[in-house]
Amino acid sequence: MSLLNVKVTAVEQITEQVKQFTFELEDGGKLPYFSGGSHVVVAMDIDGRIHRNAYSLMGPTSDNERYTIAVRKQEQSRGGSVFMHEQVKPGTRLQITPPTNLFAINKLAKKHILVAGGIGITPFMSQISDLNRLGYPYELHYAYRSADQAAFRDQLEKLCGDKVHFYVDDEGRRMNFTELLIQQPLGSHIYVCGPNTMVNSLVLMAKQMGWPDNAVHSEKFLAPATGEPFVVSLSLSETEVMVPGEMSMLEALEEAGIDAPYLCRGGACGRCELEVVDCDGELIHHDVYLSDAEKISANKIMPCVSRANCSRMVVNL
Amino acid sequence: MEKGYSIKSKPIYGTLVWQDHAMHHVVIAEGEGGKALLKLFQQKLPREPLSVLYLAADPQAEKYATTVQKIINEPVTIKDSQAELLNALKATLDSCYMGTQFYVAGTEGFIWKVAAVLRDAGVDDKNVFKELCGSLGRRLYCVHCKTTNENVHHNIHVCTGCGRHLIVREHFSRLMGAYMGFMIDAEVPGEIPAAEEIYP
Repeated sequence: MSLLNVKVTAVEQITEQVKQFTFELEDGGKLPYFSGGSHVVVAMDIDGRIHRNAYSLMGPTSDNERYTIAVRKQEQSRGGSVFMHEQVKPGTRLQITPPTNLFAINKLAKKHILVAGGIGITPFMSQISDLNRLGYPYELHYAYRSADQAAFRDQLEKLCGDKVHFYVDDEGRRMNFTELLIQQPLGSHIYVCGPNTMVNSLVLMAKQMGWPDNAVHSEKFLAPATGEPFVVSLSLSETEVMVPGEMSMLEALEEAGIDAPYLCRGGACGRCELEVVDCDGELIHHDVYLSDAEKISANKIMPCVSRANCSRMVVNL
Repeated sequence: MEKGYSIKSKPIYGTLVWQDHAMHHVVIAEGEGGKALLKLFQQKLPREPLSVLYLAADPQAEKYATTVQKIINEPVTIKDSQAELLNALKATLDSCYMGTQFYVAGTEGFIWKVAAVLRDAGVDDKNVFKELCGSLGRRLYCVHCKTTNENVHHNIHVCTGCGRHLIVREHFSRLMGAYMGFMIDAEVPGEIPAAEEIYP
């Protein structure tokens, strides 16, 4: 995949846990335009090991001079966000992928309902710039833990006016999914990005209230789960790769110099799908791409987030 | 037709079955679709609010309408012209929200006219349950003069717009609710095979 060489031109502390980073092309040229909801994958060299995390571009989508992302520091994570917070300064050079959009608005919708939890607000920042430009009806519902964690609240009030609604957990103002979903006009689409539990319950509630699947869009950037180490045997290239417990299958393949396909690195897009020829244990699927039936049939795996409880797995690569 | 041939654009119709997750059910049928309506009510009378719209333009359809009204307690909207039925549907849609499930039964032409009204209201036809009933006559769109021919029963049809002999293709336009018709003797003028009635 062709990568963009960028330099960090600004770092801003947004809340205690959230920092915003601005990137421009190293040689000063124009960046590719992107659509609302797009993300880039940032490659980080952490102690000689390449770590890749996906972050939403925040827009505005009309700006092709610079990209901005926001990163929440996850203390118990595998180091990507800590690296961004502690090592990345103005002037730091990084490599990013061109933007990819797996969370675009549906332009045929009659109304857009955007639901964000915490740092899940980031993809909506650019979606809102698209929605405002197109003049489409929308409402944004943004939940966060406490007043001091209300990242981008002032900016949202300016951008969205009375279309934005805030829900503050520790003030007892909670979002009520049933209220959000009931009596919405035909042709509405709902988009949710936030913690796992929030996304899962909203998606489930929408289903129970008769919303068709294709009107419900969700995005969760899953960090690859850790687990037991195992060996991946590549049947086509006739090599074996050891997957350590704290590394994803995809990362281990990349570490071994194998050019494995990938796009979202979050179990959403299906690009990295590998065919499992044999496995002497059990596959542990963490992706949201494969259907339940495909997961049970155990002959496909998304190496970006999924792994196995086995000693040896053979894949067609 | 060639064995195993199928084309993605050709709609595949099913049997109407109530959807468990719904806030409201809207059932729209015409003519022989009355039978599908009765079969649906044999399954159960759903708990959620229900709207039934039926186009009854012949004695058999009127019989179905009478039977349907005996089964369900709610009023059934019965019309004797397609235009009136579609207008009644538009009025019903004003009080529909997300979570409404839509069911349509009738001829292919009818199904896609209903789908067009629903599409204008923001409902994707993928989320509309459809059962094909009655005539298999096709709507045929002439790709040369852009006339839509109704109730085509033969595999070769003389276009009412331009008089060309059209071969009825399997390629279907959801937007127009019609199959595509191409001039059959464009290569060798006058070489026209005998037409067969294959969509009775």
